[in-house]
Amino acid sequence: MAELTGYAGKIARVDLSTGKVTAVETPVDVLRKFLGGSALGMYYLFKEGVADPAVKPFDAKNMLQFMLGPMNGFAPNARSTIVTKSAYNFNTITTSGGRAAAELKWAGWDGIQVVGKSDKPVYLEVIDDKITIKDASKLWGKNAVETEKLLLRTIVAPLESRETIVTEADMTPEWAKIRPPGGKGIGAKRLGAAWVIGQAGENRVWYANVITEGARAHGRYGAGAIMGDKKLKGIVIRGTKGQKFADKTKFWDLVKEIQASEATDYFWRSYGTAGIGAGEANSQDAFPVRNWQWCAWSDPDVVKTLDGPFMDFTSFVKRFACPGCNLHCMYTTEITSVDPLMDRVIEDMPDWESMGMVGGNLGFLEQKGKSPEDTFTGTQADRAEGLAKNQFATFLHDDYGMDYIEGGNNLALLMELRQRNLITAADLDGIDMQWGDIHAVDAIMKKIALRQGVGDKLANGTWESAKYFAEKKGNPEILKYSQTTKRYGQPAHGVRSGLDASALEYVTVDRATEHTGGGAGANNAGDYPAAIAAQNAKCSQDSLVYCIFAAGHWGGKTAQLVQAATGWTDFTEDDLVKVGARQYAMCRVFDIHTQQLKDPKKEWDMLTPARWFEPLPNGVAKGKMAYDGDPKKLWDVALPAYWKTRGWSEDKGIPTAATLKSLGIDDITEAIAAKYR
Amino acid sequence: MSQKLNERISELQEQLRLGKISRRDFLRYASLLGLTIGTAEALAACAPKPPPAPTAPTAAPAKPTAAPAAPTTAPPPPAPPAKEAKEGHMLMFDPIACTGCLKCATACADKWATEYFPDVAKNTMNLEFSRIRPMRFQFVDVVNVCWYCGLIKWAEGSELTPCAQVCPTKAIVPVPKGEGKAGYTGMGYLTVDRGLCLGLEACGRCLEICEDQFASGISFDPIEKKAQICERCGGLPVCVDACPEPLALQFVPVQRNGRSYAQRPSDFAESLYNRMYGARGRV
Repeated sequence: MAELTGYAGKIARVDLSTGKVTAVETPVDVLRKFLGGSALGMYYLFKEGVADPAVKPFDAKNMLQFMLGPMNGFAPNARSTIVTKSAYNFNTITTSGGRAAAELKWAGWDGIQVVGKSDKPVYLEVIDDKITIKDASKLWGKNAVETEKLLLRTIVAPLESRETIVTEADMTPEWAKIRPPGGKGIGAKRLGAAWVIGQAGENRVWYANVITEGARAHGRYGAGAIMGDKKLKGIVIRGTKGQKFADKTKFWDLVKEIQASEATDYFWRSYGTAGIGAGEANSQDAFPVRNWQWCAWSDPDVVKTLDGPFMDFTSFVKRFACPGCNLHCMYTTEITSVDPLMDRVIEDMPDWESMGMVGGNLGFLEQKGKSPEDTFTGTQADRAEGLAKNQFATFLHDDYGMDYIEGGNNLALLMELRQRNLITAADLDGIDMQWGDIHAVDAIMKKIALRQGVGDKLANGTWESAKYFAEKKGNPEILKYSQTTKRYGQPAHGVRSGLDASALEYVTVDRATEHTGGGAGANNAGDYPAAIAAQNAKCSQDSLVYCIFAAGHWGGKTAQLVQAATGWTDFTEDDLVKVGARQYAMCRVFDIHTQQLKDPKKEWDMLTPARWFEPLPNGVAKGKMAYDGDPKKLWDVALPAYWKTRGWSEDKGIPTAATLKSLGIDDITEAIAAKYR
Repeated sequence: MSQKLNERISELQEQLRLGKISRRDFLRYASLLGLTIGTAEALAACAPKPPPAPTAPTAAPAKPTAAPAAPTTAPPPPAPPAKEAKEGHMLMFDPIACTGCLKCATACADKWATEYFPDVAKNTMNLEFSRIRPMRFQFVDVVNVCWYCGLIKWAEGSELTPCAQVCPTKAIVPVPKGEGKAGYTGMGYLTVDRGLCLGLEACGRCLEICEDQFASGISFDPIEKKAQICERCGGLPVCVDACPEPLALQFVPVQRNGRSYAQRPSDFAESLYNRMYGARGRV
């Protein structure tokens, strides 16, 4: 067999129950079918029986997979993907930037699959081929930033750690005389990277993240909760083996073309995702404001608080790039505020989702006592305080290791219930959740992350919070303020105006209410083939694994890069799209099976927010609603048509036997899918 | 992306380039075609550049003649002046402008792996071959490279670099101007004589004394484990050419003993962290 290039050739299987580490080799035909990252992770969830409903999210048998693809290592814009069964009992596919993926590839691995559970806190140390399970009891109870800092200090490859041998005889007598005895030792270099969890992951908060580089997150569906359940505090990696290519010259020519193209892209190079908030979302009437009661500020001046230049001059410190990337979309910031709670806290920008979900959505941007429909009359200093609140709420989520999309929905739900007097401070252990109150957010988030008091109820996410209060108060109306689709919180792209995201996109995307699924415009326009093509393309990005922000610069070069890395000279762009179609089918069958949905449409797909079908109160699309306010148009017209285009059944959205066969995944999915048709 | 979609996007890019549609229109149409705003923004940014505007004719057009004029070959554009190798220069980085993208290290690693291990370098990339390494500490990037320290003759009895002074085989040597391999060594910069170097397993004094008292300018190749020091590419550093960020990495004529700049990367990171974030603490 020809040597595998692009890939390292093996995946580590770490069993924390037995302490055993083994190497799993993935056959080439499986790699060609699933590539890596998200699709390969889903394949293994089926192959290893994790799709089985008997395997609960917090069972030892659940498998937490850190998966790479052939682009990890030296391709620009590469990310890492985590695939597992979510704490919410559906699939988790979550990606993040940072250096950890490259280090893992250079260490000689295409991924790490963690099964079992440890009795005591541990972390994994990966130094090239050697993986050691180490005691993490001193790290347990620490948050993400501190944990990562401590772990990175420990990772020293044999090249950097050795006994000292210099003696006085090696030096001139004059020099030896003034040298401190014994020297100061070796270990000043810092090479390596880590994935860690904060306290939220330790306490199995359902929406806990896995964090890297202090502020980059494998977010959304609670990968951190599964990691915490396994008592795995972190993974720290140092790789020194590099990466092999089938055609290195061709690979590098393509990489340089991509990098040169990126270097001209000043949308990202200016202020990262800041361009979305002020530039687009407010004018699209799609910005989350106070639990989506509004989707724009009537005075666009309000949103200038989140302008790139304003945030830059107020707080940005430095730009950070992932390996080989010229877009450097992450900026660290130092918060400036008159409030000592927030002043001088270090965080990242916020990026777009946090601007929306823990900025506008929590009422941080309006002046005190004003509504989103009032004119902004404040100063730049007032703006800085609004920004500080947004940044501090982002910091709390990153440091505890929690997702601010689900978290923002959860907090905004509490604030709206308080606004409507459906709950009181007494229901929240005395915390009065008023719009714009960062101290209340600080207090309630601590309770959630540590699962203290009412925080234990709220730590299971927005839908469960609403359910808890609906039952406690005997008031089912409360459920309608849960801004969730399929029981999971909506990202910061509104669907009512039809100018940004699409309701159908959130219902059909392969992971519950995913915000980067693609195909929004085409879904809105009812062009299902185009929407599906865009969604499938996104899956191939998560499988290779590289960044959606850079995808435009990769256009037309992606299959060639795969060819150059792997030597699969007959690999085409069509093959990439097929990987996406396989991923969508696997995710759908997995979600139906693990939740045992007899009528998935009624039990899951139709659980959309009531607010989608209420008129927008202000902004350019005032009065507009998703599907003209008629949910039936979504559920009974658009959704079946979409499913049909995918080759899935129109009544339940289950891939047909013919579809699964044509995708070549009938061996792992057909027996399961057949039970539900 | 389907073929059809690709074609439509290309058409839109062309229309954007020709100014037939606005950037805003481009974004709207692209998102209608199913692209995310991020992707559309990126595509808008990489729409082909417009050709240069035609310049006004400076002379009257030539009159048509009966016989076509013999085709004249335009003279080739003058070649860009060859870069001049510079002596006595220092690599200086700006820790705020640097994004830690690793392009400097990638270029360095590839150059030197190809030089010393062409068979391996044919199909492998490995940053361990690099002499320059951006190191990511928590919220801080430090570009670690040799600072060209020198001992002080009257105080320390030598004016060699500390690594050269402790080397038992005198393997770390400067290559004078006019000698060495152009673009690799020479112009007075140091190199490691790989035939003399004992390697990390047997020795490693250079690494140890550097981290002990100065910085961390020595690394070891991952194959033979011989010492690597920054040769400044003989005055034409490839890392500086590779850096995509304006002024993040410069090659500047600093004539002083590099010891006054040298920092252990961990110390560098700590002071940067303290300065950049107004905080105190080791990173």
